[in-house]
Amino acid sequence: MGNNKKQNFKTPEGYFENFHERLMQKINAEEDTETLSFLPKSDGFKVPKSYFEGVQERVAAQLQERKTKVIPLHPYRKYKYAIASVAAIFLLFLGLNIRTEAPVAFEDLASAEIDAYLEQTELNLSSYELAEIVSLEGTELNDVMDIPLESENILEYLDENIEDIEELNLNFEDYE
Amino acid sequence: MIAEEDLVHQLKQPDTREKAFAVLVNTHKERLYWHIRRIVMDHDDADDVLQNTFIKVYRNIEGFKGDSKLYSWMYRIATNESITFIKQRSKKMGVSDEELKNRMIKNLEADVYFEGDEIQIKLQKALSTLPDKQKLVFNMKYYQEMKYEEISEVLETSVGALKTSYHLAVKKIEAYLKED
Repeated sequence: MGNNKKQNFKTPEGYFENFHERLMQKINAEEDTETLSFLPKSDGFKVPKSYFEGVQERVAAQLQERKTKVIPLHPYRKYKYAIASVAAIFLLFLGLNIRTEAPVAFEDLASAEIDAYLEQTELNLSSYELAEIVSLEGTELNDVMDIPLESENILEYLDENIEDIEELNLNFEDYE
Repeated sequence: MIAEEDLVHQLKQPDTREKAFAVLVNTHKERLYWHIRRIVMDHDDADDVLQNTFIKVYRNIEGFKGDSKLYSWMYRIATNESITFIKQRSKKMGVSDEELKNRMIKNLEADVYFEGDEIQIKLQKALSTLPDKQKLVFNMKYYQEMKYEEISEVLETSVGALKTSYHLAVKKIEAYLKED
């Protein structure tokens, strides 16, 4: 038995000699996924025979096909600002010269029509695309939210979405 | 096996790109396939999503900065592609994501590439009741045998939160499977 004369505490013999080994065992055991007896060994999914052998060729063929066909999804996209500028100047010019015809201005559109357009048109912007075009400088979070972000709203949200408790980054062991 | 940094370098050089890409596909195709398959369930859909994933990787490799590991970057693309695929399909069919998931499970029963009996179908039903992220964590940890550190890089979630997710998922699945 080893002992510490100053404190009179004792440790089992050889405790420190194999401490590192035991620690590593514990760390590895945490990573090992315990087999759960109530689960089937396999979840049942299988693939056609030799499927994986052909994947690389099929991907290469797809790339080749898309390269040769091509096909920018929106070929006009890179020119759209230029075209829009020219069109805007043209319309402005037209508006200035044909004053008598009272050109339709943006203000003439009822906001309901604009809302309807935005609702019915599939803009299909991903959050990355939105992030690229919407500047958040000088924007407070509450400026873009329908309901102000007060602590009671947050608590209400958490209460209703308790399923997502893991998003809170809590360590389960802490409250077990 | 070629080091990841060298492979990324070769993928960015036009003269070595094709060859390096073939190595990349052959190295990761199986793991990515199983990851995708467990999200979209159907083999043909998984094949489409897998191909799209690799095509996106090929087209965006120039933008890969190496802040994360290459495989976790690819897993992230595969996850996003799979989830987008499901959302697009439910939109096209005019049904909710939940309804689509029910139909996907129903289709499994007739799927020739699903070798499951009652317990496997029940497991998929149990999984469909979990929040998307819990289901992902469970499949990645239990059936794909990934380490928490790897999952953490892919899902950009702390290891502590992943352990909690996994634990909750296991409890819910167990409760579901033990129900009559």
